[in-house]
This record gives sequence, C-alpha cells and structure tokens, in this order.
Amino acid sequence: MHALRVRTVLPAFLVLILAACGTAAEETTTTGAGGSVTTQPSTATGGTVRIGWGGAPADLNPGLGVLTEDYTLYDLIYDSPLNINLEGNFEPELATSWSASDGGLTWTLTIRDDVTFHDGTPLTAEDVAYSLNLYKDTEDFPFLPSYLTPFVSIEAPDATTVTLTTESPIGNFEYRMPAMYVLPKHIWEGVNPVEFTNDEMIGSGPFKLAEHAQDEFVRLGPNPDYWGGAPNVEQVVFQTFTNPDARVQALTNGDVDMITEFPATAVASLRSTANVVVADGSYFGGRLADIFFNVVEPANCPTTEEGGVCSGHPALRDVNVRRALATATDKQQLIDTLLLGLGAKGLGLVTSSLSYWYPEELLAEDYEFDLAAGAQMLEDAGYLDTDGDGIRECPTDDCGPTGDLTFRLNYPTDNDEHPRVSDTLSGWWQEIGVKVEIQGLDSDALTSVCCPSFDYDVMLWSWTSDPDPESLLGVMLCTEIASGYSETGFCDPEYDELYDQQLVELDPAARRKIIVDMQRIALEQVPYIIPWYYPRIQAYRSDRFSGWQDSFPILSLEDPSSLAVIRPTG
Amino acid sequence: MSRGRLVLRKVAWALVTVIVVITFNFLLFRVLPGDPAKAGVRDPRLTPESVEAARVRFGLDKPVFLNLEGGGLFDSQYFAYLGALAQGDLGESYAYNNRTVTELIGRSLVNTVWLVLPAQILSIMIGVVLGLLAAWRKGTKLDVGALTFSLFMWSLPTFFLGILLLFVGSRTFGLPTAGRVTIGADAGFAEAVGDIFSHLLLPTATLALVLLGEYMIIMRSSVVEVFSEDYILTAKAKGLSTFQIIRRHAFRNAMLPIVTLIALNLGFTVSGAIQVETVYSWPGLGKLTVDAVAQRDFPVLQGAFLLLAIAVIFANLVAELIYLRLDPRVTEA
Amino acid sequence: MNRWRQLVRHRLGLIGLVMLGLALVAAITAPIIAPYDPYESVRVGIEDIYAQPSDVHLLGTDDAGEDILSALIYGTRVSLLVGFSGALISLIVGGLIGLVAGYKGGRIGNGLMRLTDFFLVIPDLALQIVIVAIVGQSLRNIILVIGLLGWTTSARLVRAQTLAVRQRKFVERARAVGASDFHILGKHVFPHVLPLMLANTVLVISLAILAESTLSFIGLGDPTVISWGQMLNFAFSRGAVSAGAWWALVPPGLAIVWVVLGTTLVGNALEDIFNPRIGRHYLEKEKPSTPEPARVPPSRVAALSIRNLSVGFQGDDGLLLAVDDVSFDIGRGESVGLVGESGCGKTTTMLAALRLLPPGGSIVAGAVHWGEKNLATMSEEELRHLRWVELSMVFQGAMNALNPVKKVGWQIAEAVRTHIPGVGKAGADARARTLLEVVGIPPARADNYPHEFSGGMRQRAMIALALAANPELVVADEPTTALDVMIQAQVMDLLSKIRRELAMSMVLITHDLGLVAESCDRVVVMYGGTVAEQGRVEDVFSEPKHPYTQLLLQAFPDLDQPDRPLVSIPGTPPALDQLPPGCRFAARCPQAFDRCHQERPPPYQVSNGWEAACFLLEPSAVVVPGG
Repeated sequence: MHALRVRTVLPAFLVLILAACGTAAEETTTTGAGGSVTTQPSTATGGTVRIGWGGAPADLNPGLGVLTEDYTLYDLIYDSPLNINLEGNFEPELATSWSASDGGLTWTLTIRDDVTFHDGTPLTAEDVAYSLNLYKDTEDFPFLPSYLTPFVSIEAPDATTVTLTTESPIGNFEYRMPAMYVLPKHIWEGVNPVEFTNDEMIGSGPFKLAEHAQDEFVRLGPNPDYWGGAPNVEQVVFQTFTNPDARVQALTNGDVDMITEFPATAVASLRSTANVVVADGSYFGGRLADIFFNVVEPANCPTTEEGGVCSGHPALRDVNVRRALATATDKQQLIDTLLLGLGAKGLGLVTSSLSYWYPEELLAEDYEFDLAAGAQMLEDAGYLDTDGDGIRECPTDDCGPTGDLTFRLNYPTDNDEHPRVSDTLSGWWQEIGVKVEIQGLDSDALTSVCCPSFDYDVMLWSWTSDPDPESLLGVMLCTEIASGYSETGFCDPEYDELYDQQLVELDPAARRKIIVDMQRIALEQVPYIIPWYYPRIQAYRSDRFSGWQDSFPILSLEDPSSLAVIRPTG
Repeated sequence: MSRGRLVLRKVAWALVTVIVVITFNFLLFRVLPGDPAKAGVRDPRLTPESVEAARVRFGLDKPVFLNLEGGGLFDSQYFAYLGALAQGDLGESYAYNNRTVTELIGRSLVNTVWLVLPAQILSIMIGVVLGLLAAWRKGTKLDVGALTFSLFMWSLPTFFLGILLLFVGSRTFGLPTAGRVTIGADAGFAEAVGDIFSHLLLPTATLALVLLGEYMIIMRSSVVEVFSEDYILTAKAKGLSTFQIIRRHAFRNAMLPIVTLIALNLGFTVSGAIQVETVYSWPGLGKLTVDAVAQRDFPVLQGAFLLLAIAVIFANLVAELIYLRLDPRVTEA
Repeated sequence: MNRWRQLVRHRLGLIGLVMLGLALVAAITAPIIAPYDPYESVRVGIEDIYAQPSDVHLLGTDDAGEDILSALIYGTRVSLLVGFSGALISLIVGGLIGLVAGYKGGRIGNGLMRLTDFFLVIPDLALQIVIVAIVGQSLRNIILVIGLLGWTTSARLVRAQTLAVRQRKFVERARAVGASDFHILGKHVFPHVLPLMLANTVLVISLAILAESTLSFIGLGDPTVISWGQMLNFAFSRGAVSAGAWWALVPPGLAIVWVVLGTTLVGNALEDIFNPRIGRHYLEKEKPSTPEPARVPPSRVAALSIRNLSVGFQGDDGLLLAVDDVSFDIGRGESVGLVGESGCGKTTTMLAALRLLPPGGSIVAGAVHWGEKNLATMSEEELRHLRWVELSMVFQGAMNALNPVKKVGWQIAEAVRTHIPGVGKAGADARARTLLEVVGIPPARADNYPHEFSGGMRQRAMIALALAANPELVVADEPTTALDVMIQAQVMDLLSKIRRELAMSMVLITHDLGLVAESCDRVVVMYGGTVAEQGRVEDVFSEPKHPYTQLLLQAFPDLDQPDRPLVSIPGTPPALDQLPPGCRFAARCPQAFDRCHQERPPPYQVSNGWEAACFLLEPSAVVVPGG
C-alpha cells in the first residue's frame, strides 16, 4: 500500500527515445546471476505485456492525479512538450525546439505538426496553450499549477508556436514542462475540469486506454498512428497486487512479465530464479527518506486561523540536540537492515540522482555515527540526566510536558519500513538519553499534525524529488511556514535570500554554487536527517519480452522508454 | 399468534433494525475523533480554504441532527443522509475523485459474491454431510478425525491459512496469486472458465475450509441431539432402516438449528472474507473496506458498513422465515 | 463425582489445560528462557535478515534480523494479555447485561436483548477495524475494542441461565421473604450462573486472541509491541513468502493455533462438565454382541420366551447388570403384566427383548425366543423385518415419542406403508385414520401435529401407531398414565378386544397393580433386576408367595378394604454398582434370614406356571430346572 501517500512532487516523467535513435537492435544487459541473456535483435511484434504493481491509479484526470500510478498512466497516454530521459537530461517531445528571448522573459516552443490525438483530431499549439492555461488557472488541481506560477501569459500565435511570458527570468524552464500533459481542447473546453472523470483518456501518446477496473487492472492498447512510431506490443496490462509477496510470486510463476516494485528481501531469491532479471537504478528525481524535527520558533508560529498549534518540544530548537541525534543515527545500519544494503547513504534534500546538483563536496561534513560523541554533545550542551532515569533533562526550565528529553515520533502507516525505523531509532537515541514515544498515523492525520499546525516533535516520512532541486529546497523557506509547505518551521533569512538568488540565476554553475551553500546551511542546522536515498528496484522476465531499458542511471521500466520499444522474444 | 402475523412481525422488526443500523452508521463516523472535512481534501498542502471548500462540498457545514437555525428543521446532515439513501445515493468517495460510493461498492460487491457464494455453498454442503456422518458414527475414527479437523480449523486464523495456501499453491502448483482473471487474455470459453477457476480456487478453498469446520461442528451436535430424541427410537422400533430414519425424520429436525446458525454466522463469513480478500488481493467489499480505512475514505466506509450490516439483517430474516416454514411448533416470536 | 476429577478425566480438556499452561509458563518466564531480548535493538548485518534456523537462532531471524524464537516467546505475553483482559471486559459487560435482562425480564429484559441482537448483526471485524483505525493503534485501545464488542455471547448465555434460575423455588422463596434484588442476585442467582459463564469466558478468550492477531495482521496492531499477529504482519508485508522464509511465517501462526486450540479444548471440556449432554444416540452402530447362551430351553407353546436374560450397561467402572438372569414366557394372545418399582428393570427387560436398548446397553447373556428365532442374536437387518409387523411397542411418556415436525396421520401411515406391501399412500392414510378412530380420536385430527394433541390424545395416538401393522405382540410401557380413569378404562377395553380378535399378545409394564388385576392374565413381579414372582394374576394376587409381592400388595389401596392402612416398604432398591451377593430384596425383607443375604435364591415352582424366587419356599417347593 505504500504507493499511495508518498508525497510526490513530480513522481515520473515521460521519456521517449526518439524514433530517429532507432528502436530495434537493443541488447539487454542483465544484472545478477539469473537469466543472463544477450539477445539477438528481434523483430517480432505483438503479445501482451503484464505488469504487476502495488497500487492502482485513482484519477484518470491528469489535473487531479496525486499517485505514482496515476502519473504512470499519464506518461503512457499523453504527450508533453519536453521530456526527461533515463539519464536525467531534457529532450524534445511535442516541442522540437525551445528558446528564450527578450532578456529571458519570453520562452518559445516550436510544436510538431504531425501529431494526432487518439480520436483522430490533429494536435496543434492551440491544444498545448490551452492545456497549460488550464493547469495554471485551475486552483483545485493539487500539483500542476505550481509549475506554471512564473508565467503571466501563455499563448499560441500559430499552429506550431507557443509563447510563454514571465516577469523575471527563471533558471529552470525545462523542468516545468515534462508534466504538462497536453489535453485535447475540443473535449476539455466543454467540461468542468475538476469534476471531469476523463474515463476515455483521449491523449496523443503511444498507448490508448482500453479498459480500467478500479483497483484491479488497467489495460492499454497501442496507438498505431503514434508520431514516434507505434509500440511493438499488442497490449499492456497493469495488474494490482497489494501484497508484495503475491507480486513477486506472480513474476516467478510467469503470471506477469515485470513488476515495478518489490521488497528488498526478495532480491536474493529473484536473482537466483531462472529467466528473471533484477534491475536497480534510481528514481527520476530521486526518492529520499527523511527524519525531521519541529523547530518552529514561537514568533514564526502561524496564527490559530491559519491552523498553527506549535506544540513542539523546546529542546529541539537547540541545534546541539539535533546534531546529537544526527550523530546517534546509523544510516548505514538502517540501509543494511531495511534495504538489504541497496540504496545510497543520504545527505540532504538534493538527492544523489540529481547528479549535477548533488553536493558531493559536503559528504565529508555529514555526521558520523558515534553514540559516545552524541552523548557527549548533549552533556556539553548542559543536558544532564539529573534524576538517573536514563533520560536527560534540559539546562533550562522550559523542557516540554515531561520535563525531560521525551519526544513524540510519528510516521505514516502506509509504509512498511517506518515501524522498523522508529523501533531502531528509539533504541539508539535511548542510549544517548533521549526517549521517543512512537505513534503511527495515516497520511491525512500525519499531514494535519505536521503543517501548518506544527503539532509534533519528530517525524519520519519520504519525498520524491523533482529533477530540479528548486521545489524541494522550498520546504525550508520562512515564507512557506504559514502555507503549510514547510514541514519543520525552519527559518533562516540567509537561506531564503540564497533561494531567491538561485531562482533567477541563469548560469548553471553559479546556480549550483548557491544551492550548495544552501545545503551547507541545512547540514549545519540539521532540521532534517536524511538517512538514505531509495533504490529503484524492479524485476522482469527475460524469456518473454526483450528491450527493457535497465542499463541507465534512472530505472523506470513501466515508462514508455521501455514499453514502447520492447518486443516479444523469439 | 397466527403464522401470518408472526411473519409480519419479523419483517417489521428487521426493518426497524435496519433503521437503527442506518442511524448508528451515521453517528459512528461523526462521533469518532478527527475532522471528516480534512479527510475529504485531496490537496496535500491542506490549506484552510481547501478544508472549508471540502466541508461545504460534502455538506458537513450543516448541523448534525436538526437544523434549529432556520433554513428548515430537516436541513441537517442526518436528514440529508436519509434523503440521499432513499434515492440510492450513498455519497461521493473522498479518495477517488468524482466517483460515487455506489459505483465503487457495486463492483466490489459483485466480486465478493463471486468469492463468498461458492465458498459458502461448498462449506455448507460438505459441513452438513460431514457433520451428519460424524454424528452417526459417533466415537469412531471418522468422528474423531472430523472433530479434530474442525477444532484445528477453528483455531487457525483465516489469514494464516490463506498465507499457507498461497505459499504452497503458488510455489508448488503455480496457481495465480492475485486478481480475478488473467486480464487481456483472448481465450476461448473453456480456457476462460479454466482461468476463472484457477483464480478462484485458492481464495474459495481458504474461506470454505474455515467455514467448513464451523458448520461441521454445529451440524454434528445438532444431529447428535436429534438422534437422541425419543422419536428416533420410535422410528427405529417401527422397523425403518437407518437411512430412512435419517432421511425422513432426523434430517429436517437437525437442519433447523443449522439454518439459524448459518445466518447468525454471517458476521463470521464477513470477517473471513475480509481476511481472504486481503491476502489474495481479491477486489471485493472486504478489501475495499480495509483500503478505505487506510485512506480515511469515510463515505465508502459508511456505505460498505451499511451494506454489510443490511446483508446480515436480511440473511437473518430469511433464516427466521425458513425456520418458521420448517418448524410447525413455533408460535411465539 | 466432583468437578475437578471430571476435568481431569476429560482427556481433551486436560490436553488443553496443558497447552495453556505451557503458554502461561512461557509468558511468565520469558526473560529467562528467551535467548535474546527482542525489545533491545541490536546491530545486525545484511546476512542476518531472514537468516535460516541455525545454532545461533533456533528459529531463524525475521525481516529486521531479530531472533524469531525470542519474539515468539515474548509474543505469548501480549496474546495472553489481550485474550484475558478482552475476555474479562466482555464477561463483565455481558454478564451484567445478561443478569439484569434475565432477572428483570419484561420490557427491560427484552430491550436489552434487542440491543444484543443488534450488536450481533453488525459485522464485528469490520467494526473493530474502523474503530481501532480511528482511535489509534495502541494495545489499550485494542483490548478495549475487542472487549467492548465481544460481550454479546456472554450476555445471551447469562440471561438464559438467569431466567432459568430465577424461576427456581429457592429464589421465589427468597423474594417472598423480602430479600433485596441485589442480595438475591448475588447469593442465589450468580453462583448458579457462574459455572457456565466460566466455560463461556474461556471460549471468549480464544476469540479475543484471534481478534488481536487478525487486527495486527491487517496492520492495525500496536507496532511497538511484539505479538504473533504483528510478527505475521511484518513477515507477510516484508516479503517472507518470496524470500522463502517459512520460519518467519509458520511459527507465529502455529503459536496462535496452539493457544486458541488449548483455550477451546478447555472451554469445551468445561461446557461438557457443567452442561453435560447425553453423549450417545439411538442410531449408533451396534457392536455385534455374543451373549452367553441361555441355560434353559424355550417353551414350545409360548409366543415369546425369555430365558436367563441378563442386560448390562457400560458404566465408568465397568459393566453394570440392570437385569440379571430373568426368565418368563408370554403366551399367544396372552396379556402379561410386568410390575415392580421404578428401576427394577422391567422396561429394560422388554427393551432388551425387542433389541431397542439405548447405546451402552447390551444383552450380556440369555436368549429371547420368538418362534424359531432368537431375537437376542439376530442381526439388525433381520430384525427389521420383524419390527412392528410382529413386535411393536408403546413407549413410556409419549411426549417426544412422536416426531414433532410430522403430522400424526403421516407417522402412522408410515408404519403401515413400511410393513404392509401393496398399500398405497391413500390406503395407508385411510388406515391411519381408522386406527385413530379406533382409539377414540376423530379421524380428521390425523392432519394435526403432535403438539396440537393433548397428552392423553398423544398417548392414544401412540397406541394406534403400535397397532398399525397388526403386530403379534405389543409391549405397552405405562400406556395409560396420562389418561383419566374413564378413558383409561375405554382404552384398556379396546386393547382387550383387539387382543382377543387378533390373538395378539401383550406385555403391560406398569406400577398399577389394579390395572394388572383387571386386564392381565398373568403377572411377573420384578425386583432389583430379577424376577421375584410370576404366575396367574388370580394366584399371585390372592396368595402372594414372595415377601416383596406381599408387601407390594399391601402398599396398594384395595377397593374391597378401604380402611386398610397402606404400608410402604421402607428402604430403596440396591444401586447397580452395589449389588448384594444374596437375594436382592434381603435388605428390606422382613422375613429374611442369613442364607438370604449370602446366596441368591433360585425360582421355586409353586404350581404350574407359578414361581417365586425365595428360600422360604424351599421346604415345600421344587427348584425350577435350570433356574
């Protein structure tokens, strides 16, 4: 059930290998002992690809989607102006080229002229502009409007041109485009966008929707007129297996040809299963696990009308306490036990998948696991265990409801690892004299105690990042405390200033430096502890279809990058 | 009182229970802690505006029972709920945008019936026959074996049996691990039937086995009681063969408590179905309920709950009426 | 036998007790016997995840590298805690409601029962899931929810018991004396209700344990607490199946089965003890018996000739003889009265003769000659052909001897159809109505059910039934006890008439000596499982030879001597497991002497067909050969 409430900023992007790059003659390189096959180029077509996943799409309306599964469908059925490929680079899709002019205030997209929607209607720049404006103007759409906030006007002066105007230059135009699924204007202009269920899902992408049974399966057929070349398979079926074991077993039995996710504990047995290949890579923007603290200062607390409660333990506002806790967290051990060693050690909110923006140079400044040192830090800062009960008290009188370092710890219940993580953390932190009271809450309850109410002490959660660090860095802004986007209530004016600078910095290198500085602040102030970056592990059968794109840094086999190109073996 | 009046009384009582259940259902989701409006908001940023919008949208801004603020006495949540129910409108799902609860429940209900009906029929048939045999051959190996089996089944949690069967069934026999059918398969009729069968096999077997134990024990004790009645001795003295005695005299009398107990045990069947659907990812009402709980999808929960309770009430009523039909002695409600 | 001994003897209950005991021991000694402390966080490496059972970890490790055996042992604590606490809450709530409902009765009682019915209708797991999910997954909440939703069975049970007890005499007395409700409930009602509540509670415990494990498995358990359901939840959702880690799945599941099974066994045992039901039934397969052969040859002229019949019952400590070496004849067309005190074995003798003994009883020795055949050794198959058409019986206390869900006429017609070939449904139905008319019941009543007949009518219907196939011998066991004197006379006249017309033999089992005197040709007097005296009615009743017969006659009112005082015979017949070596009647016999206590008297022949088994006859009479 964990695909449901991971806070996804932009979960997945459409990737398409251009037709010109060729679709035939892939060699599947495999990882692991099982089924090492280097196939001959195959030219077969047809067949039904069956994919097992753990959740199910809930919204066929791209404006309303919040789940990973929703976005998987959109990527297959719709096109957008640009895409991000499996190496993390932006590529043309509906837009053959794009450029900025007018001092960076106007962006122009040139749209292809050979695209038709699934119902035969041609796709023009008008549909593109219409869709972008729809996303921008519909407030009730949860995610998509935020990508378009800088644009003050979006127009289609002719059938192949779209212009977007901003008030000040932006440094990351491309990353705003991949999620802009182009909708057919002639269908959408007559409906209420928020209430439209979009059961037919008319798009222009490589696949068409054939059948959808809520929480059971989705069946897709190929778009034979796709401008990028029709897919080679006859059907794609996504089937829901809530139980991870059932999913793995389905792959082993041959009931499905690929599974999009499975527990790390099954890796070993899958690797040793014949005809099964285990692939690993990372998520598009990277996905991180985080432990964060309620550090909102009383002066910054949102008003009661805004929903502020601010019941955080005062000791957590002391950076020494947070540093001590970071020192008492063994990231590698967590990775070993929960992910069986797969997954990268976490650093900050900018994940290692955002290779360019990832502050490698800060790795040396991260906190080493050392329980004694952590205890010493607390000792030096004046937190002593005066009554001998194993829990330290504060140097000042203001020490929370229990008068000592007892923190509430919450986590979302839809994730299988968090109970284990909190268990383990509690053990380590106990050894340096900090007690935690653990409570799992469902995602909605968790959101309501988190922000903007700030009614918690410590929280565990996870984020999936955009390919651009901007949005995730925004969670540490002072200005976002009242809006509820800031989860920790962290506020450092210097950080806010740096953020504004990078927003308009057009030179990537300069921008990178600013972002590294921001992350240094985050590391020093440690409102977040990032234990790990999730690996993306998927598995597929090598004896059914070939052409799975599993040798890139980013892994996303359910993506058109694989599904549009795979062929039946032999 | 006359039979006719008795029947009417039972039906009336069932209707009253239904209304009480409806009200209970309504209250349940409003007295428990947490603001239902928040659950209806899909925007993860949960701004106060979106909470308010959700509140109005789902009618949660009205008073709960009676509207004394002017605007009509019955302009309240409770009567809005009753009114909607009367039209078959169970509301809109919080979790799935723009989908009605009726729609969601309807589909999953069909799936659950697919699962529960065969399991129930199988377990009743086998349980009754086994119980009869065990009672007849009381004290023999057959009886002891059947009793042991039933006791074991009773003590085995349904989900555990499901896991075991899933483990063995999928690893050893390659049976499918989830879902109702192999989707998108273009198969002939015979193959389609075989496909459905292979998917139904494990979940139905799990549920049937669990229910079987229960019914066997009930039937057995009922039959033993009947077989020790004096009229059985009369029948034996009359020179009837054992088979004739069982068929003509014992069976009907032994079935009477079975009918009631099967109906009473529907709650047990529901709990079994919830567990089986969870283990096998069977997209039925039980799984819908568990998922709805995780997503705090209150309208769906309310709807599922109501449906389950009404089904049980209805089944009870049917059982009581059957009992009335079978037993000429009953004169009192 | 006291309760404790009963429990110990109940094998299954004992096993259950041992199972529970082991679990309890594990729970209490967990810190001592568990190899590791599962609540302690240890440093584990990747190879420790789902490690196979080994020397270091006897049951392997789970998904977090923790030792499964230790978790299993500690898990006992939670399961037992939830089970007992949840059950306790159910018991208290349910018990209170049941007590009040049963005691007060009326509107309050009904209202409370409606409430219970209502809760029964709600699907319990669904409700538990909803409530726990909303109030929070703490152990305390789970216990409360399970307890508060599980009270319905307790309530029903307690109410039923309370209702039954309330009507008992001592409670009525207490109320009459003015005792307060509270006092009565506490002192009188409660102690009677308690034993069954106890049995029920044990079963509720097993339900509570199952409920907790199910909730934990679904993911609503308390994650900070180790329970078996929680272990299964972790294993199932963290890939134990696909990792092949059966050791993470099977032990916790089996542990649940262990505790629930143990509890259920104990609960069932307790229920058997406090609410014993007859374990056996009439359709059990009869073990083929080979009785010791009779010593005395059968009579040539009698219809039924019982020789040296001994009937035994399986007791806890061995075979008990209810009938010991009984011999008498029934002549063709003869009416024989079989009399004696309750428990003297008269009914048992005839049941044995007709091979209708309840399970546990068997013919130990002797023969029952019916024509050329010996009924005592015939197979059930062969017997069936004789039943009803040659030998029929009117059972004592015809209350339930008729099937309550079948019409009376149908039941009689069934007998007709079974034995008279060629008679169709219509013919059998007509005959049934005729028979009813013969016993004085309007033929239209054939379409009624037994509960629509009065007691007397039922008894007459039984007689009609017995005559349905024109039998040669009818055994009537107290056929007229429920009838008033007028009807009694009618029925007995009727029977005599039929007897004469059809040359039908009859055995009349009764205490009513007057009835025997009026309607029987001969009489057999039984005492303590033996025949005391038998002979022609005129002979035996005018000059009884056996002291018991004498006393019996004195105890009976005599119309001719209305002022004669009635003398009751002091004492009681001997218990079957404490039979004296000598004459059964010796202990109560006013004329007994030494030999009577040591030796059992054989039957002495007084005259042809008149015998009495008493040493007093020794000088004047001769022992019956073979007796």
